[in-house]
Amino acid sequence: MVNWAQVLFNSAITGSLYLLGAVGLTLTYGLSGFPNFAYAEFMTLGAYMGYFVTRQLGFDVYFAFIAAFLASGILGALAYRGVFRFLANRGANKIHLMVGSIALGFVIRYIIGDIWGWPTSTFGIRWSGFDIGPLRVTDLWLALIFTALVLAVIMHLLLTRTKTGKAIRGISSNPELALASGINIERVTLLTWAGGAALAGVAGLFWGAIASISPLLGWAMILPVFAVTILGGIGSFYGVLAAAFIIGLAENIGVVALTQLGLSTEYRMAIAFIILIATLILRPQGLAKAFRRT
Amino acid sequence: MNLGLVVYSLDIIVFIGIFAIVALSLNLEYGFTGLGNFGKVAFFLAGAYTYAILMERTGIPFYLALIIAMLVSAGIGFLVSLPALRLREDYLAIVTLAIGEVLRLVVKTEDSIAHGVWGITVPPAIHWSGMSVLEMRMVNIGLVYFCLILCFIFFQLMTGSPYGRVLRAVREDEVAAEALGKNRVKYKAQVFMLGSALAGLGGGLYAQYMQYINPYMFLPMVTFTVWIMVIVGGPANNWGVLLGAALVILFERGARIIKDYLILPIDPINLQYILFGVLVIFLLAYRPQGLIKERQLETKAIEGVQKWKNRSSE
Amino acid sequence: MEESLLRVKEVGKHFGGLWAVNRASLDVARGSITALVGPNGSGKTTLFNVVFGLHKPDEGCVYFNGERIDHLAPHQVYAKGIVHAFQIPRLFYRLTVLDNMLLAARGHKGDGLLNSVVFRQGWQAQERELADKALELLNLLELDRLTLSPAGELSGGQRKLLEIGRALMAAPVLLLLDEPAAGVNPNLGRKIFEKIELFRQRGLSFFIIEHRLEILFDFADWVYVMDRGKIAVEGKPEEVAKDSTFYKVYLGD
Repeated sequence: MVNWAQVLFNSAITGSLYLLGAVGLTLTYGLSGFPNFAYAEFMTLGAYMGYFVTRQLGFDVYFAFIAAFLASGILGALAYRGVFRFLANRGANKIHLMVGSIALGFVIRYIIGDIWGWPTSTFGIRWSGFDIGPLRVTDLWLALIFTALVLAVIMHLLLTRTKTGKAIRGISSNPELALASGINIERVTLLTWAGGAALAGVAGLFWGAIASISPLLGWAMILPVFAVTILGGIGSFYGVLAAAFIIGLAENIGVVALTQLGLSTEYRMAIAFIILIATLILRPQGLAKAFRRT
Repeated sequence: MNLGLVVYSLDIIVFIGIFAIVALSLNLEYGFTGLGNFGKVAFFLAGAYTYAILMERTGIPFYLALIIAMLVSAGIGFLVSLPALRLREDYLAIVTLAIGEVLRLVVKTEDSIAHGVWGITVPPAIHWSGMSVLEMRMVNIGLVYFCLILCFIFFQLMTGSPYGRVLRAVREDEVAAEALGKNRVKYKAQVFMLGSALAGLGGGLYAQYMQYINPYMFLPMVTFTVWIMVIVGGPANNWGVLLGAALVILFERGARIIKDYLILPIDPINLQYILFGVLVIFLLAYRPQGLIKERQLETKAIEGVQKWKNRSSE
Repeated sequence: MEESLLRVKEVGKHFGGLWAVNRASLDVARGSITALVGPNGSGKTTLFNVVFGLHKPDEGCVYFNGERIDHLAPHQVYAKGIVHAFQIPRLFYRLTVLDNMLLAARGHKGDGLLNSVVFRQGWQAQERELADKALELLNLLELDRLTLSPAGELSGGQRKLLEIGRALMAAPVLLLLDEPAAGVNPNLGRKIFEKIELFRQRGLSFFIIEHRLEILFDFADWVYVMDRGKIAVEGKPEEVAKDSTFYKVYLGD
């Protein structure tokens, strides 16, 4: 008998994780015009910051989140300023930027691998689990969902009430007008890269806490995160919000379907990939147009 | 002379040959035609696995298995090209990347295909009893470089001809090319199928050389390595790409040798990839045309015009 | 009436609710220089794009030599004999001027993969002939000393000339020229039109969008004035120049 309540709850978990991961990617992709494959490493760094703070320094897990947020945020800002803006100023086109992001990914991944080693490790934290009615929950999962909700509210307020937020929406939809109206595009872009990467770090930390950590962690997550970004529509926060939970739901219902059909649950990953491929072929602009705001 | 070093060097030479074939195929797609294929490993995998499965289950000769591997890869390339080639470059990159991962996932999960994660052993193509390690390497060099030379000649003829001119036109401005009567869908599809077939050939040669393959040998990192070969060597210059393949493999393997001779604070293997990444970024910034840059097309007719111009300016 | 070479019948094309071309009809006679004029944004370039196949019309049809062509892709429209030269030149900037010209040639045997690689004799001879033809055209356009230079090295005016030269190289039946004299000095503009007249005498037909009315009206046989997607006025140049609607269209009412 399928515990549909658990399936829904698990969808919320997956969706929250993907939302945290995809916000930064969609906004930077929309602003800078290319997919940053090194984004995977922003997530990986977050997970390792958590490991560093909890296992190696012995601090409380809350500090891990702060460390992940800050470290990845700084990395994002450096990546933008030091690599991508540099390449763009030297005349790099979209494919050059993509290859550059792959190269940057190599650099970060192997530095992480050198510092912390290549084999997989875990946080070694026992998350207390308990039952609420038919649901099995852990406080980690609840923290994740809570974080995602808080993020959604903050982003919504940011995008609709603040100058910076409106600037992000403006630059994505009409760059020339944005420039003319005096928005400091450079500052907004830098903030978006830093903020987006910081969120990616937190997402990586959650993923590492839920599963395990290795220097290839980011790459395990990156394709579903891309699927969410594309399905939601590049550059659209609201799109990503919807897409994250749609894919979360699809994956978890998919797992049920796979088990019923007698197929391996390894194919869970394929669900996001198939949605990604289908979206690109059938409706590359994603869901975003369906929402009139960005 | 240290036999171990000789064998290791020959090993490097074989790898350069195999990956040169794959890199040339990407050069055809990206360097000449502008197609950003970030799923190269998918066709490499298809070729490798097709060859492995055929050699495990049937008694056909190895060259037939290689040809079938190429056909299978070309077929998958055709299927992918149908929906994917009309996509914008970044979308094409993401879609090809995703398709590569789906393929790898299927091969990894479905044990009935090729034993999943346990991998599959592949008999070498040419083998005789009592063969030494040295002889094994030499035979492979012969086989791989025979294929490489054929591919290279084919690519040079193709890209140095009017067909190659059309490919460059599609790369520069596909709408203008279309307006001048070139069916861009046809050209892109042909190139993609050929590129996939050659990547499949590389995969087949790889499988029989390694004598064992498993899904973990076909991560996206392979695609990225091949991209770096093309970018470093010189997009749209086949000689450049050969050089790129050689340099990248030497760089990768060289570190392992240095490890035995130098003590460094950083593990040389990690350091090598770090330096690699930094180098690629610098190349993209300061020399995106690669070490050996693209040369203008020179057919006999154009050479004739050049001679006439030189004479008339005297 | 003799059947027109190109017939545009009640063609409509919209982009997201805005009708760029709104039930426009016109005919281009064989062997004529037909002009399409109108203020910016009146839909002239969009109409051209529909004719050469870049866009499919949402309404109406396009006929060429009596055959419907509106559903064809650009390379198929080219095969029928219509060649389009872009307003802002879309040259292959990294390729040489000669390569640009050779790419425009019709029926190059080397265009096929098998021919290019295997049956090399076939196209090598043909290419020498095509190179001669290209040089002849380049000579006429005074671009011959730049034959082997990358197209990117050409000046603005030279690029326009090459764009037109490329279209001529394609041995078209009907040439769609989008502002051939735009962005060049008036003398060069007049020279371009003199060359157009030369080719008309050789049997080509021309359908031209142009803003330089003072030059255009000296050469055109028939003028269509477009306004907000529709054909507002048509006739011989001197008649149109006297028509009050024509002035209203350009100066606004």
